[in-house]
Amino acid sequence: MNVLLQVLINGILFGSMYGVAAIGLSLIFGTMRIIFLAQGTIMVLFAYLTYFLFTLAGVDPYLSILIGIPIAFGCGLGVFYVLFKEAAALEDKNVSLLLAVGLMYMVDNLMLNIWGATPRYAATSYSSFTLRIGEINISFQRLMALVIALAAASIVYWFLKNTRLGTAVRAASEDMVSTTLLGISSNWVMAIAFGLGLALAGTAGVVMASVYSFDPNYGFPFALKALVALTLGGIGNVWGALAAGVLLGVVENLATYYIGAGWADAISYAAFILVLIFLPYGLFGRRGVVKKV
Amino acid sequence: MENNLLEVRDLSVSYGDVQALWDVSLEVREAQIVALVGSNGAGKSTLLKTISGLLHPRHGQIIFAGEDLGGLSPKHRVDRGVVQVPEGRRLFQNLTVLENLKLGAYLPRARAKYAESLERVFTLFPILKERANNKAGLLSGGEQQMLAIARAVMAQPRLVMIDEASLGLSPIFTKIIFDLIVALNQQGTTVLLVEQNVHMALKICHYAYVLKTGHVVMSGPGEQLAADEELRKAYVGERAVRAVRGKVE
Repeated sequence: MNVLLQVLINGILFGSMYGVAAIGLSLIFGTMRIIFLAQGTIMVLFAYLTYFLFTLAGVDPYLSILIGIPIAFGCGLGVFYVLFKEAAALEDKNVSLLLAVGLMYMVDNLMLNIWGATPRYAATSYSSFTLRIGEINISFQRLMALVIALAAASIVYWFLKNTRLGTAVRAASEDMVSTTLLGISSNWVMAIAFGLGLALAGTAGVVMASVYSFDPNYGFPFALKALVALTLGGIGNVWGALAAGVLLGVVENLATYYIGAGWADAISYAAFILVLIFLPYGLFGRRGVVKKV
Repeated sequence: MENNLLEVRDLSVSYGDVQALWDVSLEVREAQIVALVGSNGAGKSTLLKTISGLLHPRHGQIIFAGEDLGGLSPKHRVDRGVVQVPEGRRLFQNLTVLENLKLGAYLPRARAKYAESLERVFTLFPILKERANNKAGLLSGGEQQMLAIARAVMAQPRLVMIDEASLGLSPIFTKIIFDLIVALNQQGTTVLLVEQNVHMALKICHYAYVLKTGHVVMSGPGEQLAADEELRKAYVGERAVRAVRGKVE
């Protein structure tokens, strides 16, 4: 019983990172109607930033969130205006999708050539610190991952609900022509969504650096995990994406523990396909949210 | 001619190889209601989209308040007061009525007059005040059309272009919407009205243009066109269909 509880808690804490990356995918998909497949690559890139800030400059990984988020947001704006602006105006979304794939492989291979395939891990003085509640051990860093995920989701939710720009992002996700006719620049809204999407990937990456050992090959698998969480959570649903990420983490951890690590991915993707067959709008999705795609 | 708010000169627009508008010229005088009538596919929506800057003309000019709009983005056209209520209303269904109205006043010029505009809108459309916190998607068809017009009013328009205001509405709601358009115009807003309901449009407009397969084929004061035998003949079929559709709802 305690083992099960332990596995569940680890899954929840770890899965929250998938959730954060998935919220980012959701924002980008909402406005631009593409799956940003380089999302996992951006996570790895910011995991490296955190790792080097820590090993070379002694910056605490949690402090690098404050450095990483603005950089990731700026990267998002830049990448949008340089790479995606023209493609986003096209009816055919495959061009944008291919751009994302190209960006992913380019950055993956750059990282591989510059930093090599050696797994990295930002081992801090408190890395092995665990909280003990009864018989359950909770890793401090995984707990922090959940706290940061909840904070990130809350901030994004607040922004979308309570600010004029956030409302415009939600509106543009529903009907970009309509927002354009109100004088809201479609490029600006997409750039903001892109900036936020990458800031969330950056946040997940910073957290990853101190929880998990990573190398440049983790990009694509992480993008897929985030995509699974996005689809399960229902597109356009901040809390749904986070909850689905957590659920995915739990399924993976249960499969790893009870069946074997090699089976974890096969089982989570099978669960993903089953949900899509029976609940095409996601576990928490409402009908109609994706109907205009 | 100085009091022309909008002048369209020799406008031609194509979708790829298919030309939708052929040398269309028209004028909209300040503080008037001008109707643009014609059957499906005549090019009415294409004209409005081009005036809004969503489509780019092959040649021709759009002059608004003495300024050539060519080369201006949709945003800058809205900022100058050219605001469209698109066909099918295109509300943000999952946003509340109030959020829809807020987005109407998105640009700084309109935002500065937000409170004033909101009061004006709630006076014109009291039902929207009651429904302020409801999701737009939960409103009835007529209420949604009111919200679509109200959202445009929030943008502080000098010219409101309404595409198919009566589409899908019952005759009672059609009447209410047309009355509201007249009220809006009496407050000084110029209106360019695109309608398939020719009868109602000609009744409330000062001047009308008839568009057929991308050409302006007729124009004149509303009551004059309403009396025109040829025009009536061209639309008898369509009006009969509309009447039936109205009863079904």
